[in-house]
Amino acid sequence: MSRLERATELDDATAVARARAGDLDAYEVLVAHYTAAAHRAAVLLGAGADADDVVQEALVKAYRQLSRHRGESGFRPWLLAIVANETRNLHRTRGRRAGVLQRAARQELPALAPDPADTAEANERRQRLVDRLRRLDRRDREVLVCRYLLDLSEAETAVALGWPKGTVKSRTARALGRLRDHLAGEEGTDG
Amino acid sequence: MADRPDDLIAELRALGDHLDVPPARDQRAAVRAGIARRKKTRRWRLWLIGVLVSVAAAIGAVEPARATVVSAVGNLLRVAGIEVRTGPVTLPSSPSPSPLPFEGATTLDAARRAVRFPLRVPAALGEPREVTIADGARVVTFAYRDGRVRLDQCDGTIDPIFLKQAPDARWVDVGADLGLWLPAPHEVTYIDRNGVERSVTARLAGPTLIWSHSVVTYRLEGIATLDEALGVARSLG
Repeated sequence: MSRLERATELDDATAVARARAGDLDAYEVLVAHYTAAAHRAAVLLGAGADADDVVQEALVKAYRQLSRHRGESGFRPWLLAIVANETRNLHRTRGRRAGVLQRAARQELPALAPDPADTAEANERRQRLVDRLRRLDRRDREVLVCRYLLDLSEAETAVALGWPKGTVKSRTARALGRLRDHLAGEEGTDG
Repeated sequence: MADRPDDLIAELRALGDHLDVPPARDQRAAVRAGIARRKKTRRWRLWLIGVLVSVAAAIGAVEPARATVVSAVGNLLRVAGIEVRTGPVTLPSSPSPSPLPFEGATTLDAARRAVRFPLRVPAALGEPREVTIADGARVVTFAYRDGRVRLDQCDGTIDPIFLKQAPDARWVDVGADLGLWLPAPHEVTYIDRNGVERSVTARLAGPTLIWSHSVVTYRLEGIATLDEALGVARSLG
């Protein structure tokens, strides 16, 4: 852990302690600091156009639940757990509304922005990766999104998804294996 | 290409930068407003719980009167580790049971050693054939009748750990203790040790009796009638 990370963590702990005592200015520091990360997580976990609303709801809930935050995990993964949960709730409501769960499932990753500076092949490869990620089982996708796209550690992913750390490790390996098989299978049929 | 897992990981890490993530909205003002709104209703609710419990306790055995009181003032009922929100139920999309966090099968003796509260066995149902322990020994579940009947015993000295949404909950007496009877299927959400509400475990529960005795909260699910459920509750040894 770098000195900067440690300093941020200390600040978070202080801000959490103050916010818990009812200091709204202290909580606003946390809100300002983590809105972007929470929003990114919501989008990558599939909240789509509702991501801002999910984040707002999660931040209000997080304040209300601060007394339950034990401080062993940092504030960020703890907040992301609430964001992930709110996003899942959203999927359920959407699924009910549309009557078709499948539809919500397919929207679970945002679109790819093609990089004009890159080769067509590289862009195509990324598109295939996104398509394959979309088709993974929800839990497989969630663990890969947390670990690699959101760059959370194993411990942080465990907090964010509410799984034991061992499950994160085994599920990550399995999801990577499946993704690799799918991609290899695709290349096989293409060639 | 992704011939080795490390390449695939690198590709996944890089992928994050290429996905179309719009900028986040500034949430500071909205969150402040949201907190202010919540605070007001929350304070009112806490006050309500106090009133509800004392009113319900004072009225004692007059069942219909209590039911009226509850439906008149209550949209939130609470027994130790369990909080019940009454009102329209939003049913989870998948009605099949899913496990509590970190659930594992065990034996009655092992469960007794693991938990910090006295485990009791209902004589009316006998020794459980299946025993599971969940979330750091916070909840122990006995399963009977092929899993259709469950008895949860929870360390209920902490914040609410189960949230339920049920339109028709009512207070009942379980021996000297106050309990809640939820006759219709309802949604159950578990709050784990980190304080996160796990709607993942939301599932439909059948008729349920909830009560608490000293530090333990009990939740008996799957027994169709209140009389039989009370019989099981009274038979706890």
